[in-house]
Amino acid sequence: MDTLAFILTQCVNAFSQAALLFFLGCGLTLIFGIMRIVNFAHGTIYMAGAYLGYTSVRWLGGFVAALMVAPIVVGVLGVLFELFILRRLYGRDGNAFLMVTFGLALVLGDAVQVVWGAPPLQVPPPAALAGIAFFLDEPFPVYRLFLIGFGTVMAIGMWQFLERTRLGLLIRATSQNPDMVHALGTDVRVVRSGVFGIGCGLAALGGVLAAPLVTASLGMSLAAVVDAFVIVIIGGMGSFLGSLIGALIVAFVQVFGNYYLPEAALAFMYLVMLTVLVVRPGGLLGKEE
Amino acid sequence: MRGWIILLAVVVVLAAAPLGLPLFMMTLLTEALILGLMAMSLDLMVGYTRLVSFGHAAAYGLGAYSAGYILLHSDTPVLFAVFIAAAMTGIVAIAAAWVFTLATGVSFAMLTLAFAQLLYAIAFQWQQVTGGSDGLAGIPRRGGPFGFDLLTSKIGYYYLVLLCLFGAYLFCRTLVNSPFGAVLRGIRENENKTRALGYNTRAYKIGVVAIAYALGGLAGALYAPFAGFTNTELLFWLFSGQALIMVIVGGAGTLIGPILGAALFLLAQHQLSSVTETWAIYFGLMFIAVVLFLPEGIWGTLMQRLGRKTQRV
Amino acid sequence: MAFLELDGLTRRFGALVAVDQVSMRVEQGEVRAVIGPNGAGKSTLFNLINGVLPASEGEVRFDGRRLNGLSAFEICQLGMSRTFQITALFPEMTARDNARLAAQARLGGRWRPFGGGAVFAEAERRADAALERLGLGHVAGEVAGYLSHGDQRLLEVAMALAQRPRLMLLDEPTQGLSVEETGKAVETLTELLSDGKLTVLLVEHDMEVVFRLAQRITVLHRGAVIADGTPDEVKADANVQSAYLGGFE
Repeated sequence: MDTLAFILTQCVNAFSQAALLFFLGCGLTLIFGIMRIVNFAHGTIYMAGAYLGYTSVRWLGGFVAALMVAPIVVGVLGVLFELFILRRLYGRDGNAFLMVTFGLALVLGDAVQVVWGAPPLQVPPPAALAGIAFFLDEPFPVYRLFLIGFGTVMAIGMWQFLERTRLGLLIRATSQNPDMVHALGTDVRVVRSGVFGIGCGLAALGGVLAAPLVTASLGMSLAAVVDAFVIVIIGGMGSFLGSLIGALIVAFVQVFGNYYLPEAALAFMYLVMLTVLVVRPGGLLGKEE
Repeated sequence: MRGWIILLAVVVVLAAAPLGLPLFMMTLLTEALILGLMAMSLDLMVGYTRLVSFGHAAAYGLGAYSAGYILLHSDTPVLFAVFIAAAMTGIVAIAAAWVFTLATGVSFAMLTLAFAQLLYAIAFQWQQVTGGSDGLAGIPRRGGPFGFDLLTSKIGYYYLVLLCLFGAYLFCRTLVNSPFGAVLRGIRENENKTRALGYNTRAYKIGVVAIAYALGGLAGALYAPFAGFTNTELLFWLFSGQALIMVIVGGAGTLIGPILGAALFLLAQHQLSSVTETWAIYFGLMFIAVVLFLPEGIWGTLMQRLGRKTQRV
Repeated sequence: MAFLELDGLTRRFGALVAVDQVSMRVEQGEVRAVIGPNGAGKSTLFNLINGVLPASEGEVRFDGRRLNGLSAFEICQLGMSRTFQITALFPEMTARDNARLAAQARLGGRWRPFGGGAVFAEAERRADAALERLGLGHVAGEVAGYLSHGDQRLLEVAMALAQRPRLMLLDEPTQGLSVEETGKAVETLTELLSDGKLTVLLVEHDMEVVFRLAQRITVLHRGAVIADGTPDEVKADANVQSAYLGGFE
């Protein structure tokens, strides 16, 4: 295998990984940016998305249906959690949110185990994306190429949504000055419920997309929550663009690290994060709280 | 005065526990006291200084691995090994805290998490020293010169743990009621103002982190020879999260509360996991309920009801 | 050599020059006010003097010592205490504990991790004396967060006073007070400053307050000094008149 082909293969791996991580990270950063909540349950929600994706594929028979159903179901659950639990805690310090979301992670994690059982579940990629494409005589899984395309489209779409639409403006304004938005006649509580739901939905979407690559397993929640935090910390808590950059950095460190120095890949990821925090305590694009 | 009498009574009851409890209960109690020490040390940061840490497992794991390594690779008696390990943890923590305190708030918490996960990754990979994913096994409770052979028995070891916890509690209580402790409370309520008043707040924060890690390291160091093994779980973020829950459920900023929280945590885990496979569900629901309805934690709420806002300025 | 000397002090935020070549001299025992319209750079000037912000250019000398490069807490330890424009207290502590913590900062045993009975006793003595002088003796036991806004403003001054400072920086002590509260606060402050023992640098919005408290006034406009003198001189200054669009009447 020549060098160019090798680099291309690794880049496809890294970019497709980055697409998954982006969904994970941007949901977390959105929730933090708007609500100042560090959502410890984010990885578990991602995992729940993968399992729901599995069931959707089996019952509804289509991957596209799973891509719609799982995020919506999880998003609605997120809104309910915000309405009945989180809403009671505004005005308390951050510890309360931390603990409540940690509790949610425990409950949801075990609930998934009760419903779907402990063994990992294989989710087949849709037939149209299951094949392999050849480029420069190198094989590339079509599904990974699809992830890159889908991730790019979604990232641009969300960016445009935040920049161009009234709702996006409202969300950005709320992250900067919720009291002012409230005073100007928008019910901030509704924005918060919605954002928590969207953030959870995005994590679930990432989970569904990840399922064909890694199988849905109970272990994925822990890995995911740690990855999500690393992404958001590197990129800057609350920064949308930051979560994109963070996802790319983490994906490249993971993919290339795993190839060249598998023993140190994990440690290297944390070292990158530590370095970023030491140089810029608020993350690359974040403000220090 | 009444507080001292109650405290003394509790210690006497705990000291008499081996007379009345079966051995497996003593094992559970020993572990509860060790976890209590861990949670109490975290309370110095979380409750008294409002330095939220997502990575206190680093202290526990560092202490446990250090003690385990010393006991496995030298003839050091267990009594010395645990204190050497605690001191080592504290020294490492000074350097770590120097880095942590570059940031504040959520970034601070994330740095503690990053440090703990870094140690986790190292423990996982550095086979020769840490045993990798298997961890260290067969850690002896080695007796020592002056009649410390007592410590090799389960009951004897229980007394060592009890003594350590009691001593650490008195130490922490003195600390939080000292001029140093008053500054910590200032940092908790308004760090910028505290700095403007002429306190080098970063030095105080590094100090309290080092003390908290040393005591957390002591807890870990006591755990290694108690369990006879260490593994990477001790450094994992899940354990850090659990420690934080013990503190908050028990009542942050009360010292006693977190010890109670740790004991309850262990008891609930033990009881629920023997009844149901899905104990974590009930566990999680319980936590959520505590946060919603007992914002000061169990002990904090109890003290409030009794009309004594103890320890809280 | 004056007690406090600022020489060409400048601070830029990007293209904005918030403080522009400010030089001034404050003598020991003087009560000096710094006034100017909103955005004139008064609070930034304070932040430069006590080390909260680093200066882009120029220097500050306090009792002959160059302060550049020292951090806020070190400068405070040299005997310079300040209050903030937006009330900064320890809201869950009592007023007495607030002042006590302030006083403790100046005592040798402030960092001791054990005991400290003597430290606390001395700090409390200084705290109570300071609270008494600002007329807060009767609320000493109340939780600071529950005090009236006027009392909170005075408590901050009391905390600065409890440090027995050689120079006090007061950033708009009557900020956000009602007319009634302002009157009471000015009364208290006038009494405090009347003995001429304290050296005070005062930022203030309310001109009446300034003319009652200060012996000399420095006027800032867009970051630069446009006038400096006694209250009467400043009132008569044409530059000042135009900067304030219609003067003080």
